Amino acid sequence: MKIVVPVKQVAALDDDFELLGDGSGVDPDFLQLDLNEWDAFSLEAALALREGDGGDGEVVVVTVGDEESEEALLGCLARGADRALRLWSDECRDADPLTVARLLAAAVARESPDLVLCGVQSSDAVNGATGVALAGYLEMPHVAVVKQLDYAAAESAATVKRELEGGLVEVLKVRLPALLTIQTGINEPRYANLRAIKQAREKPLQVSTPEQVGLEAGALAAAAGSRRRQLRPPDRGEGAEMLAGSAAEVATRIVEIVRERMS
Amino acid sequence: MVLLLAATKTRPVFWHFVPWLKVVWYLLAVASVAVFVYGVLRPIAKYRRGHGGPWPPCPWRELPGRLSTGARLLFSHATIDRRDRTAGWAHRAIFYGFIVLFAGTVILGFDTDFTEPVFGWSYFHGEFYLAYKEILNLLGTALVAGVLVMMARRAIARPAKLDYSRPDRAPGDPQYDRRVYRVGDWWFVTALLVIALTGFVLEGVRIAMDHPGYAGTQFGGWIVAQALGGASHATLAGLRHGLWWFHGLLAITFVASIPYTKAAHMLSSFASLSLRDPLAGKRLPSIRPDRAAEPAGYGALGDFSPLHLLQLDACTKCGKCHEACPANATGRPLSPRDVILELREQANHASAGIGGLLGGLLDGSAGGAGFTASVVGPNGVRAETVWSCMQCNACVEICPVGIEQAPIINQLRRRLVEEGELDSNLQSTLEVIHKSGNSFGENRRKRGRWTKELDFEVTDARKQPVDVLWFVGDYASFDPRSQRVTRSLARLFRAAGVDFGILYDAERNSGNDVRRVGEEGLFESLAEQNIAALRDCQFKRIVTSDPHSLNTLRNEYPDLGGSWAVMHHTALLLELIEAGRLEVADRLSYRVTYHDPCHLGRFQGEYDAPRSILERLGCTLIEMPRNRDNSFCCGAGGGRIWIADTPGQERPSENRIREAVGLPEVELFVVSCPKDVTMYEDAIKTSGNAEQIALRELTELVEEALVPSAALHPA
Amino acid sequence: MSDVLVIAETRRGELREVSLELIAAALGVKQASGARLLVAILDQEPERFAPSLSADGVDELLLVPTPTEHFEAHVSQRALEELIEAERPGLVLLGHTIDSLGFGPAVAARRGLGFASDVISLSWEDGPVAGRGAYGDKLVAELDFPGKDCTLLMLRPGTFEAAEADPTHPESVPTRSVELALDGVAATEHVSFDEVQESDVDITKAPFLVSIGRAVEDKDEIPRFEALAQRLGATLSVSRPLVDAGWMPSARQVGQSGKTVKPRVYLALGISGAVQHLAGMRTAETIIAVNTDPEAPIFGVAHYGAVADLFEVVDELEQVLG
Repeated sequence: MKIVVPVKQVAALDDDFELLGDGSGVDPDFLQLDLNEWDAFSLEAALALREGDGGDGEVVVVTVGDEESEEALLGCLARGADRALRLWSDECRDADPLTVARLLAAAVARESPDLVLCGVQSSDAVNGATGVALAGYLEMPHVAVVKQLDYAAAESAATVKRELEGGLVEVLKVRLPALLTIQTGINEPRYANLRAIKQAREKPLQVSTPEQVGLEAGALAAAAGSRRRQLRPPDRGEGAEMLAGSAAEVATRIVEIVRERMS
Repeated sequence: MVLLLAATKTRPVFWHFVPWLKVVWYLLAVASVAVFVYGVLRPIAKYRRGHGGPWPPCPWRELPGRLSTGARLLFSHATIDRRDRTAGWAHRAIFYGFIVLFAGTVILGFDTDFTEPVFGWSYFHGEFYLAYKEILNLLGTALVAGVLVMMARRAIARPAKLDYSRPDRAPGDPQYDRRVYRVGDWWFVTALLVIALTGFVLEGVRIAMDHPGYAGTQFGGWIVAQALGGASHATLAGLRHGLWWFHGLLAITFVASIPYTKAAHMLSSFASLSLRDPLAGKRLPSIRPDRAAEPAGYGALGDFSPLHLLQLDACTKCGKCHEACPANATGRPLSPRDVILELREQANHASAGIGGLLGGLLDGSAGGAGFTASVVGPNGVRAETVWSCMQCNACVEICPVGIEQAPIINQLRRRLVEEGELDSNLQSTLEVIHKSGNSFGENRRKRGRWTKELDFEVTDARKQPVDVLWFVGDYASFDPRSQRVTRSLARLFRAAGVDFGILYDAERNSGNDVRRVGEEGLFESLAEQNIAALRDCQFKRIVTSDPHSLNTLRNEYPDLGGSWAVMHHTALLLELIEAGRLEVADRLSYRVTYHDPCHLGRFQGEYDAPRSILERLGCTLIEMPRNRDNSFCCGAGGGRIWIADTPGQERPSENRIREAVGLPEVELFVVSCPKDVTMYEDAIKTSGNAEQIALRELTELVEEALVPSAALHPA
Repeated sequence: MSDVLVIAETRRGELREVSLELIAAALGVKQASGARLLVAILDQEPERFAPSLSADGVDELLLVPTPTEHFEAHVSQRALEELIEAERPGLVLLGHTIDSLGFGPAVAARRGLGFASDVISLSWEDGPVAGRGAYGDKLVAELDFPGKDCTLLMLRPGTFEAAEADPTHPESVPTRSVELALDGVAATEHVSFDEVQESDVDITKAPFLVSIGRAVEDKDEIPRFEALAQRLGATLSVSRPLVDAGWMPSARQVGQSGKTVKPRVYLALGISGAVQHLAGMRTAETIIAVNTDPEAPIFGVAHYGAVADLFEVVDELEQVLG
């Protein structure tokens, strides 16, 4: 079984970050890079499936990212992925989910995988869209927000649990090949120790441009779903707004705030 | 004949033996030695199957020095005496009694079997014989007394450390109580007693029959002789023959059994004590380049170093480590003793059989399945046991025979880390350290932020040379409570005119605890980054806030190419006070107790500087029962600070605070380690003792006592 | 301006609240642009929801019968694609919900639409302008969609105040049945629904957490806070000391060694805010903190704070909730 796992190197923002002068982004000095939390779970699910399958399968991780994101790929290879693909061109910087999905689709289609496992979303962009958009491009059956995955090799199908709002769960069956977006907590991602990360440098990591995976010039620009006009701080005051008054007044205010925010 | 013997003052070895009996005796003696030799070779074959370290365990040229150190410790009983003088003296009596009686037999044998038949010269008579008898009698008596004390300990006193039930198994589990070890103990002490006593009885019979006419200090034999006074010659003769054979057979059986019973510790413990790493636990071994491609650490017995396999056999089950272990003391499923014994059982099970012996002796490669099977598992050493360890080195430090329990546990952890078998909190902390270079997950640019609240600038050691490079460490840099101490220390350095600087963003977690967690690769990476940063700076010496950093910088960085003079801030403060650069008034009247951090006390042997400072400040120091080398771990070590405790269990830090508040009228709990600050501030609250006792870092007291005080606290 | 198309959501025979929020957001656009507002209902029996969706300003309800009893992503995907083909809307609004996330992005990809998900603000400047959180909502990104004839936006539930429908006057909004060829489109097979299990509390998914810390001081007070949380409609979480003390299971722990939570509201009662704790909750959307210590670090990350005794406030909260 061949499983492709699209992953992302995400940037966590420091508390006291600064924006770039033109407001188009964050000063990269204030970002901490890491493998997207959800992708750790989808990778683990893929590795577990391969191991359950007698270890014969192949797990390929793929990312759209610049050279820095090879760090995330190395982490995946260290955990046990067999090889990695990195897709990049400058027009992918800060790309929206449709652009990323378009490029991924071109590369993933060439792999003809039995299963594509994405994270539900990335912790920095929180679109929750790239995986399903990729399924759209690949014309592949898909299930979003999967919190349990049981693969039946004989039927070449999977029984999955989809996590709905409020804790409700839908159990459904999907035939392979398919694309699933994986929710956190579905498994316990293994630890990528530093020695393994060093040794992962020996594993194949291929870098490709959009042209090299068969996309025509302009294809990515055409796919882009949005343009970021600016990045600004949210409408939120500095520090806590202190609630004054008696305990009764404080309690009343708290209930008001809660109702307002939860409505 | 009788008169002649009395006059020449000797005794016949084979009294009234017919020749064939002598032949039988010698055959038995040779067989005994053969069984003994086999029993000694067998474990050596076993040790050779350990591929995780050099064979022989130390270079031949170092061997004489090692053995003389081992012998010095053995003959002084310095390690056996500690924290249990009774057992120490009893063991001394048995040891010297046994060794002298054994030497006596050898001397006699040398005369009977070598000098007399070969050269026709015998020395076993006259003054020599008399002195011989005096000494043997005296030490034989000591042996009996020592054995009786040991028996009384087991039968009557029953100290907790001699309870062999395992904290890592539940009662009812077949592996829970180690009955077989108690049987072994009793066999051992009983055999010693019976051999010694039959020796006395035999002598008494001889005296009763031969009336040698002198008694000297042969009181043991003499007493027996009096009791047998009325017996007929025939009875005595029968008794003498019977006893001779009984004593003799028991003795050669005992010799033969030495390698197979508790008596084996005579050999293995001495070897372990001689060959142990003098820095065990303080400097954990780096991964050898030739094994870099293989999985790290100990997963199976074949991964062990020969020395560690030998140490498994060296354990005497004395229970000193069991008693010192903070995990065991607070109900965690770990006793260092039981880890060693469990591994020993596995090793013995795996190496049974002569094929293994020959293969092992020939090339050390004949590892059976037992040497490749996992040592960690539900029926072996359990993972939760491995993770309960705080790597505080209390076990290594107290072990009388030099076993390296904590480093062995660390090797088990290395493999678990490699296999991803680690606590999820610990896993995410390691990931955070890897990403951000500190355990708080803070951006590295924030490392120097604690200086912002000072009214002077702290030198960036990367930009200009300094005398003292201050390696601040994670907790002292990021933890808000410890930051107060850090600023206090900075003000003191400034007041004393110390030319100091810090690394700011370039400092990383020192890696001491990361290494003790078993994440060797991350340790290497952190250490390499710190060493590179330090190499780019000019300084004369390094001072650390954190004893953990002190340990790894001082003892472990040299292996990675970073050798500098490193000291703890308490040592520097004392130096500044002694030099008159910090003037402290003897005016603090606090009654305090002081907690020795594991990594400062046991790891570096620094017990006195903090106490000396407290004395100069005017504080009255009330020692806790567990102090100095027997200090009790706060529970943070070995990465335990990053692993959630089991709810509802007393934490080591709470146990320690309980000990402190039990002292009469102690107001302050003084520490000198940033992790202690965190652990004990918390424990004082959670144990409900905030009214009774408050925490101070030693630096804070120094600042409080400083003259002039106004200099540090501008209005 | 071309139409605005809202896709209503139903689950197990009930209309989901987000549908009316989408209508409210669409009404704002309609006001600014003068577009017509179409609301499509994809369901086995779509007509039963028509009354609940008859809000003022809705121009037409499109009733799209589906072959499957429950939501099926591929059916919804095909249906939406065909609706877009047929109706040519300029703006399509979906909820940023689990169901819609299962097909919305695929439609946008396949049809080359303008697209944004998790949208928290929507305005009109010759075309839609969407605001969405970035970097854990520490920032807001403003997006526009140049060159797109049609844009599909997925709006975060709870962000827009729901429109009010008037079920008593269903005839106020015209309906139209739209029959689409959806047989055989489903690619998954529904097996069952598993109900919520009370014992499996997952504080990382709770939208509202009431969190308590060391200041509680007494184990016997815990049930009182559990009751309070329940009455507020919240889930109870705790800081490390209470777990260490064995008063609460570690599944409830927020912080570095516990769970990282991002609820919409985090009410911290008697938590001073050790760094390790803050690491686990600082990205909550709204943080309200009550603590006796005005210097408590928790106030550094809180949006609302009160320096007050925990138990006095709890007494009053119980009063307010009646």
